[in-house]
Amino acid sequence: MQSTLANRTAEKTSLADWWKANRGLLGLLILLIAFPFLLALSEGQSIGDVLANEAGNAKFMQGLLIEVFILAIYALSYDLILGVTGLLSFGHAMFFAAGAYFTGIAFKNLGWGAGQTLLGLVVVAVVQALLFGVVLPRVKGITFALVTLGLASVFHIVVQSTEMSEWTGADVGLQGVIAPEWLNTNTARFQLYLLTLLATFLVYLIYRRFVDSPTGRVCIAIRENEGRALMLGYNTFLFKLVALVVASLTAVLAGFFHTIHQPIVSPNVASLGWTVSALLIILIGGVGTLSGALVGAAVFRLLEFFLDRWFGNAANFLLGAVYVTIVLFLPYGIVGTWRLRSLDMAKGRARLMKLLGLGKKETGD
Amino acid sequence: MENLLELSNIHTFIGQFHILEGVSLSVPKGSIIALLGRNGAGKTTTLKSILGLTPPRQGSVLFKGEPIQGRRSFDIAAKGIGFVPEHRAIFRDLSVLENLRIAERQKGDFERKEQFIFELFPDLKRLIKLPGTNLSGGQQQMLAVARALVPDNELLLIDEPSEGLAPVIIEQMMAAIQQLSAQSTVLLVEQNFVVASKLAQQYVIIEEGQSVKHGRMADLVQDKATIHRYLGAA
Repeated sequence: MQSTLANRTAEKTSLADWWKANRGLLGLLILLIAFPFLLALSEGQSIGDVLANEAGNAKFMQGLLIEVFILAIYALSYDLILGVTGLLSFGHAMFFAAGAYFTGIAFKNLGWGAGQTLLGLVVVAVVQALLFGVVLPRVKGITFALVTLGLASVFHIVVQSTEMSEWTGADVGLQGVIAPEWLNTNTARFQLYLLTLLATFLVYLIYRRFVDSPTGRVCIAIRENEGRALMLGYNTFLFKLVALVVASLTAVLAGFFHTIHQPIVSPNVASLGWTVSALLIILIGGVGTLSGALVGAAVFRLLEFFLDRWFGNAANFLLGAVYVTIVLFLPYGIVGTWRLRSLDMAKGRARLMKLLGLGKKETGD
Repeated sequence: MENLLELSNIHTFIGQFHILEGVSLSVPKGSIIALLGRNGAGKTTTLKSILGLTPPRQGSVLFKGEPIQGRRSFDIAAKGIGFVPEHRAIFRDLSVLENLRIAERQKGDFERKEQFIFELFPDLKRLIKLPGTNLSGGQQQMLAVARALVPDNELLLIDEPSEGLAPVIIEQMMAAIQQLSAQSTVLLVEQNFVVASKLAQQYVIIEEGQSVKHGRMADLVQDKATIHRYLGAA
């Protein structure tokens, strides 16, 4: 019998093929696992020092990379709802902050263990996604963005209120959270480094699988044109809700690691600025590309760190300049532009000139 | 003859604008029926009203004898109504195969229809892995029609299939619509009267949001006065 075309083009899922397709990714994973050891060795310390949590600079760099991984997980979750499903939410910081605050409260005030806290986070994630879901069928586009901004602002105000200071530390932030021994960023840095690294890769792989699944394809269809998805017989509301729940689950995981890693959970992580950080990261990396969230998070955090180290007070100005350059010359982000293989310097220069008011008027595009 | 679809006196508003002011039409099973009229007469809105994308405020829409007005679009579509919107409404970020697969209502729909679809549109088989955005206008239109064929749709609403296509592609598209009408009933909106008159057995003319005339296409072709009055064509 003649095999159907659909069967022939169906992906083979043998391990060898998977290995082949993901060589680069696995190489990166191995490199990142080896990185603290390589850095320690290059600075005259031993592998044992890393394992014993003693290698100074290597320990510091692990801490910086943990921040990159946390940002990457957070940005991935934003890419799923904005880049893949096309929902513009200005309240995404709440997804992250609720995870961060809940983790702190569970550890500090309730005395919960990590497992119990993670289970609690699942409930938190689903509840807040459903809260966003309530307004989902009623508002679209920029209105949805403003309503979500409103919801997140309420959350931001609540965690900062003095009435909540016993739980959230009000405007000072949540301090004195003691993470379980095996996760402690001061005494078990390498474990936390490995855990956040693996979590990032796992989230990325799950997300890629999700986007390639029939459900993910419908999400892309909704981004492109919700009406067309509707008339194919899809209840688009349910798909958007699924995307929100998955993104919320991911963002609270990032918040969980954030609380463990940082000495203080500042209310800033509930602010609009924190949502903008996620937006900036995926703009840098490439909206809707998923891997762009990883690249963007690395560029975002490392650039901030190194510019600050090298240029001190001028760092913020330079950071702004770099972002403007990226938007002008890589309008599809780093990964997006790479995929298109179309770095067009002339167009970027034209945009720059126009921005500076020097260029000729663009003649229709 | 049994009517697959029956619209009685539907009134549809878009915002505050009263677009359809009483459209009635019946679509007998197993035919191609053309919806004719000038630009802005309300042809597309009629299709959208059937699907609930612009729900009618008054009147009734019966599909297989069951009222469907006021139901949600995806419920209506799932009853077996396929829509091919104007302007080649494919998903440009998805591949040809993904565009077809996404239209499955039950697992295996595509496998069952694969042969039929590729007989109608052999080009698509060759392009199966390409992203929609790389297709030409004609290929996109073929994909849009093919997508509506994946699930078992008893009724196809096709909006302006010949719009902006080269004559040779129009010929191909007409042949395809002719063939697929053996399986599904077709309600066709078509500006190009030559195309419409060759395909359809019946017609309905809409003028300023009202259905004003209907009958057999063969009679309309002879009736130059009506054609001139309502369609502006010679």
